[in-house]
Amino acid sequence: MNALADKHVKVITGNAAAAHGARLCRPDVVAAYPITPQSEVVEQLAKWHADGSIDCEYVTVEGENSAQNVVCGASMAGSRAYTATSSYGLVYMYDAMLNTAGYRAPVVMVNVNREPPGIHAVCSGQQDMICVRDSGWVQLIAENCQEILDLSIQAFRLAEDHGIQLPVILNYDGYYLSYLAEAVNIPSVAEVDDYLSILKTQPKRPTLIPGQGIGCGSHGIGPGFVEARKKHMDALDRVYQMVDDIDAEFDQAFGRGYGGQLEAYRCEDADIILVTSGSAVGTARTVVNARREAGIKVGLVKIRLFRPWPIQRLARVLKGKKAIGILDRSLCFGWGCGPLHMETKAIIPTIGEFIPMLGFIDGLANMDITKEHIDKMIDDIYSASKGNSYQEVTWLP
Amino acid sequence: MAAKIKKLPKVCDYFQNEDQFSSGVAYCAGCTLELHARMVSKIMGKETVIVGTPSCSAPVLNGQNAAAWHKMGHYACTMTGVASSATGLTRAYQKAGTDATVVCFTGDGCAQDIGFQTLSGAAERNEKMVYICYDNEGYMNTGIQRSSATPYSVATSTTPVGKARKGKETGSKNLPLIMSLHDIPYVATATLSHLEDYAKKLTKAKEKSKEGFAYVHVFCPCLVGWKIPMDSSIQVCRAAVRTNFFPLWECEDGKYKITKEINKPKPIADLTQLMGKYNHMDEQMLANFQQIVDRRFNVLQTLCSI
Amino acid sequence: MGFIKENEKCLCETEACWSYSDKLLLCLDTSSWRTQRPVVDYETCNCCGLCFVFCPPQCITEDGEKFTPNLDFCKGCGVCAKECPKGAIKMISEGEYADECPSR
Repeated sequence: MNALADKHVKVITGNAAAAHGARLCRPDVVAAYPITPQSEVVEQLAKWHADGSIDCEYVTVEGENSAQNVVCGASMAGSRAYTATSSYGLVYMYDAMLNTAGYRAPVVMVNVNREPPGIHAVCSGQQDMICVRDSGWVQLIAENCQEILDLSIQAFRLAEDHGIQLPVILNYDGYYLSYLAEAVNIPSVAEVDDYLSILKTQPKRPTLIPGQGIGCGSHGIGPGFVEARKKHMDALDRVYQMVDDIDAEFDQAFGRGYGGQLEAYRCEDADIILVTSGSAVGTARTVVNARREAGIKVGLVKIRLFRPWPIQRLARVLKGKKAIGILDRSLCFGWGCGPLHMETKAIIPTIGEFIPMLGFIDGLANMDITKEHIDKMIDDIYSASKGNSYQEVTWLP
Repeated sequence: MAAKIKKLPKVCDYFQNEDQFSSGVAYCAGCTLELHARMVSKIMGKETVIVGTPSCSAPVLNGQNAAAWHKMGHYACTMTGVASSATGLTRAYQKAGTDATVVCFTGDGCAQDIGFQTLSGAAERNEKMVYICYDNEGYMNTGIQRSSATPYSVATSTTPVGKARKGKETGSKNLPLIMSLHDIPYVATATLSHLEDYAKKLTKAKEKSKEGFAYVHVFCPCLVGWKIPMDSSIQVCRAAVRTNFFPLWECEDGKYKITKEINKPKPIADLTQLMGKYNHMDEQMLANFQQIVDRRFNVLQTLCSI
Repeated sequence: MGFIKENEKCLCETEACWSYSDKLLLCLDTSSWRTQRPVVDYETCNCCGLCFVFCPPQCITEDGEKFTPNLDFCKGCGVCAKECPKGAIKMISEGEYADECPSR
């Protein structure tokens, strides 16, 4: 009996958790190019491939652009396809990513967040995922190693759902999570097979089968193109509910739920809210707990679904609050703030009322987001909630 | 007394399949590319999946909304992603146990320039596919700009003839030779004037693609870009072979062989005079060009003698 | 320039944009491009078949007896006439045939 196939608990890194997540979903084609801090994912998969413990075509491509084209092609031909990348690798495959999304190829890709630009930018930061925000992909963000594994499985379930048929990026912070070792529950292959078996009951998506005179990528001129774009937007609209449902299904099957599009932590009775994502959530949760003990009614929103942006659910959580802080690990050039901040500002009409919003830019280029930083953020948000003037965007060291 | 058909030309023996293209497609009148595409479909057959890019062939190879121009499978991708997309397709078919011939059908701009990395990568991995490059010596679809396949001295929109400069200053990249150095099972050059040779090579490429990467480089004159009369494209192909400008050769499992020996090669002027793109050439430029052609042919001859 | 529909028209029924040649194979009316047409002198033609293989749109047909250009798709490029070793094909200006009632 293959020990890998069984359910077990093991202390593994975030990268290894991503590799396990991919392995458990049994992809047909894996194509990847190594890049720090993602390399461990592809090395681990290569090792299993060499051992014969995963049965897939493993394509050791000559660059990320090819990796994306390989998985897109394989997916269109009917395969379950997987790739992993980071930073410059992600933007090097950008042209191909537009095709993957436009062709509605349900590829799953891990992106280990890392800063561009510069040769020394081998450090954490979410700018890479922001660069590909408008590519039409679904984007998820994981907080810890367990969630990386669980979200990998959910990503395949989501991407390949007949009502979705969209590629999914699973983001997690480089360094903070990629190399962090934690105890992770690794489900058995049989359990994951069972969880994904619902996909087999759905109608089959069209695939490029030779001899049938069919072709793809034929986004034509005029109405055909518009029609395809509209369908793509509609599918993204269906992602909201699907992410919540899939997470609930996952909770039932594995006993771990994450709240779907977002997790609202101690938000119900909160006056002020801090919104953030990724590994910073862990620290923020600790600080929020401490401040609650001290009598400050603060809540925390963890963004799990970045694209499409959880407009309705976030608006519901934020409605009626006195002030909101948004912690960003990347920049939104042209808005003078962070992307999560900008996106949150954009839902003010949906919330239906003006709430003071304070942006905090922290954790760029591996700079630690410390408890002290988050304490300061909460102080600022609290002060704004009392009607004091506030600084719209604050850069923390 | 009118003659009757006794036998069809020998090249027809290689046609295992019908023409898969619609009768009316958007190639210029007299373009060798149309003949090329139709021949490929007759030899490769309906089970083929054609991977194409933005190029002169894009409006023909790729569908338009829900409609298509031919009966083969087709996959459209960016110019960078031809060999890699085809890799995705072949690997998916291999995993699923589906029998298919994946054929990349691209121009020289894609193969030699922007898509060269992926082509080289796929060849190095020995992916099971046929890569056919139709060489019209430049970016013809975007308005006749120079590519790395544009030969010495040619006038294009980005290497125009002016007072200070006269056409492209460097020679072309010898891609078929470069591909042969990837140690792949099959590399060949072909052109449309020598159809039997061409058909044999395509047939062999299809067979060889079952074991690995097969590369076929096809010389395809562009009437508009090269300033050739509409009826003369085949004549230009023939002259390219007879001047040794485009020798017909193949490299099968590392063994080089010239498949059409030219006993008395014609001077390069016999080729250049057929086209307007060389109109500005003087004696010195012709001599330089002849030198490039001779040097390249010598390299090939040396390889063939090994 | 118009499209002739060889098969029935269909709309994209799938999520992604796929094209189906068995549902709709597009075809251009390329004969309308023609300014000259090939005319074969069957007394001179020796049925070598070079016009048949070199014709770029492959529109020369054979019926077992002779080769005939299919004027529904012939673009009038003249490759057949140029390649004919017997000089049996002449390109004649379409103007000469202007009074012929067009078939379309």
